[in-house]
Amino acid sequence: MEEPLLEIRGLAKRFAKRSRREPAPWVIQDLTFSVSEGEFLTIIGPSGAGKTTLLNIIAQIDVASGGEVRFQSQCAPIDDPKALQPGLACRIGYVTQDDHLLPWRTTLQNVLFPLTVQGRLNAETRTRAEMLIRTAGLGGFENHYPHELSGGMRKRAALIRTLVYNPPVILMDEPFGALDAQTRTQLQEDLLRLWNLGKKTIIFVTHDIAEAIALGDRTLVLSRQPSRIAGKHAITIPRPRDVRGIMTHPEFGALYQRIRAQLQ
Amino acid sequence: MTTLGGGSTIGRPDLWHRIATSLLASGDQILVLVVLVAIWQVLSMTLGSYWVGSPWGVATRFVAGIGDGTLLHQASYTVFEAAAGFVLGALPAVVLPFALRRLPIATAILDPFMVGGYGAPKLALAPLFILWFGIGIESKIVLVAVTVFFIVYFSAQAGICALDVGLVRMAQVMGATERHVARHIVFPGAVPYVFAGLRLAMPYAIGGAIIAELISANRGLGYLIQFGAMNFDTTGIFVALVATTCIVFIGNWSVNAVERRLLRWRPVSDVTLQAGT
Amino acid sequence: MTLREAAIDLDTPAPVRSRQHAVTLGRVALAALLLLAWKLSAEMAGPLYFADPIKVVQRIVVDTLSGSLLRDTYVTLRLSAIGFALGCGLGIVLPFLLRRLPRLTAAVEPYIMASVGIPKYALVPLFILWFGIDDAPKLWLVGLLVFYVVFIAVFAGIRSVDRGLIDMARVAGAGEAAIAREVIWNSLLPFFFAALKIALPRAVSAAIIGEFLVGNEGLGYLIEHSRQNLDTVGVFAGIVVATALVLAINALLVTVDRRVNAWRPTDRHMQV
Repeated sequence: MEEPLLEIRGLAKRFAKRSRREPAPWVIQDLTFSVSEGEFLTIIGPSGAGKTTLLNIIAQIDVASGGEVRFQSQCAPIDDPKALQPGLACRIGYVTQDDHLLPWRTTLQNVLFPLTVQGRLNAETRTRAEMLIRTAGLGGFENHYPHELSGGMRKRAALIRTLVYNPPVILMDEPFGALDAQTRTQLQEDLLRLWNLGKKTIIFVTHDIAEAIALGDRTLVLSRQPSRIAGKHAITIPRPRDVRGIMTHPEFGALYQRIRAQLQ
Repeated sequence: MTTLGGGSTIGRPDLWHRIATSLLASGDQILVLVVLVAIWQVLSMTLGSYWVGSPWGVATRFVAGIGDGTLLHQASYTVFEAAAGFVLGALPAVVLPFALRRLPIATAILDPFMVGGYGAPKLALAPLFILWFGIGIESKIVLVAVTVFFIVYFSAQAGICALDVGLVRMAQVMGATERHVARHIVFPGAVPYVFAGLRLAMPYAIGGAIIAELISANRGLGYLIQFGAMNFDTTGIFVALVATTCIVFIGNWSVNAVERRLLRWRPVSDVTLQAGT
Repeated sequence: MTLREAAIDLDTPAPVRSRQHAVTLGRVALAALLLLAWKLSAEMAGPLYFADPIKVVQRIVVDTLSGSLLRDTYVTLRLSAIGFALGCGLGIVLPFLLRRLPRLTAAVEPYIMASVGIPKYALVPLFILWFGIDDAPKLWLVGLLVFYVVFIAVFAGIRSVDRGLIDMARVAGAGEAAIAREVIWNSLLPFFFAALKIALPRAVSAAIIGEFLVGNEGLGYLIEHSRQNLDTVGVFAGIVVATALVLAINALLVTVDRRVNAWRPTDRHMQV
């Protein structure tokens, strides 16, 4: 059997004590799962279940209090703040809840930003960036500043900014949560389309069960704090998925109920 | 700017009302200007132009001064003093917080000295600088530089502290080094704050140059004002005053123009930074 | 926890006692270094340019004991106080008056804002010509400077009053005077106090600079007169006292502000 691309073993996290009276609660405890290459994994959990914290740890933004993260069979340093390598040398991309677009750069400049800092900006990568912008439906807005773009457009820009430098793994933290239903469905379709172009490994966190089912090959359910895996569900709905009509698929209902039961 | 109060708009088409109100307001403003000039004229006729000069006298002398170049010549000294001092003071004021960004201890050590320097009356040092550097332009430049430095230092400091750490982390995930972060995130983010400081410091730059010239100088607009005062030439004083005010306006306009160009990316709702009076 | 919060969480070092000590030590060291630099400059550049720190202290002591320094300080402060009162009074009253005449306000506003651009110090020779060589031109200077600061703040404060509160008061039967007193004055207090913190030190500063240009008493006169006599020690002494005075006033204002406003929730955009 092939080594999974990413392995989380017994991950644990508690935050620094704020008050002297009680020890800090465990946010994550004994969390174990693995992700295969090219897989689209969705993770659902209730609010405050530490979903963002989990992603922060995987992305090497934050330290863990215990456990192991293995990426490409190598152990990642997750307990020493000084040894952290955010993004693990650009092998892990991270699309956060806030788009964090640089306000002083145009759309095109923002998309080119990772290429600039990685020293990979040339005619070829530039063309690729421009193509991505058009594919994402932002054609014509290359020279607009972020404050001139709508929320949905900013999310798209943030998404292709990560896609442009092709990290093998992409973490996504409720990227479409703050948008209206119409825009969200559109972006979900766009995401699947872009994912199809080059089979990346995606870990997508959400609190929306329907979204998790529509997008993922597999869904993990996180329990409340201290979070561990409450359940693993294979999404057997065949691809290509019809995002708009996912709820009408015969297998959707049963899946939905099973997942929802575990979320209680 | 909106007007205070205002009539009822019930039953009137909004656009028409707004056009009428704004025309009325402009008309009022022109009326006020005419009234002010008329009052000036009356005063000069009753009290005599010895005391208040006359609108016409000042206007003709002003135009003549520009025409034969003398006014511009003197103004250029003041402008040079203000501009050179401005650059001399603003550059280290921007560089220092930037350089000390990774050494919070150094910034903390410096803080009371900077606060003291900011609170201390820099213009009161004018005689000292004149003592040191003479009555030429050097003493004025140093005075302006010291005044501008402390103002811009705090603005630049605020700009660096306003760093959005989320942006830094995002950039680090994408492989940005410390140098990249400084260049692409810290610096552009601080620019609006630095400009607020520059806009704040600008009138102090010109004011400082003028004050130093008033105390002791042989060139510049401040010198012209004193020269006029010593010769009881009120018209001359007014001409120099008008010229000084023009320079302040041009200076403000220039800083705003540069800022508008550099900060096109800023969302319009960032009004708190725009309040610079 | 968002990306931003996690980043801040990781970045903030826990306040360590040793860090506080290092900072204090650094400050003392820097102050000592500056004093040393002063002493060295005095020796290298000569007594014309740099007065010896010890001589400066001696001069301050002598002048204080003889009373002349106290007299000069008193004169400057008295000037600042009177000018401050005049400028402050007018700066408060005028916006309230203008409030009742909205059309006049709209007509006059651009000129008021334009007049802010005139450097007030540049007007002093004109004031001397008009009002003589006693205190009058200096009072005008201080008064004008204070006026502009207070006027703009109170004007903006009045403008920012919640219209809803005024309407509510009117409905409840309050007359114009009561509205002005109760609703408007209280709403603009933060603006007013912020302006005071700027205006008071500036009044003292302006008095000193006015004394550079006219008069025969006061701290400013002391400094400039010493310069004209090439009495460098006198210049340094005057500057030290003037700076200490303004810094003391600043510190006093900060303490009073903290004490008076302790009950207020901090409004970040009010910090000037």
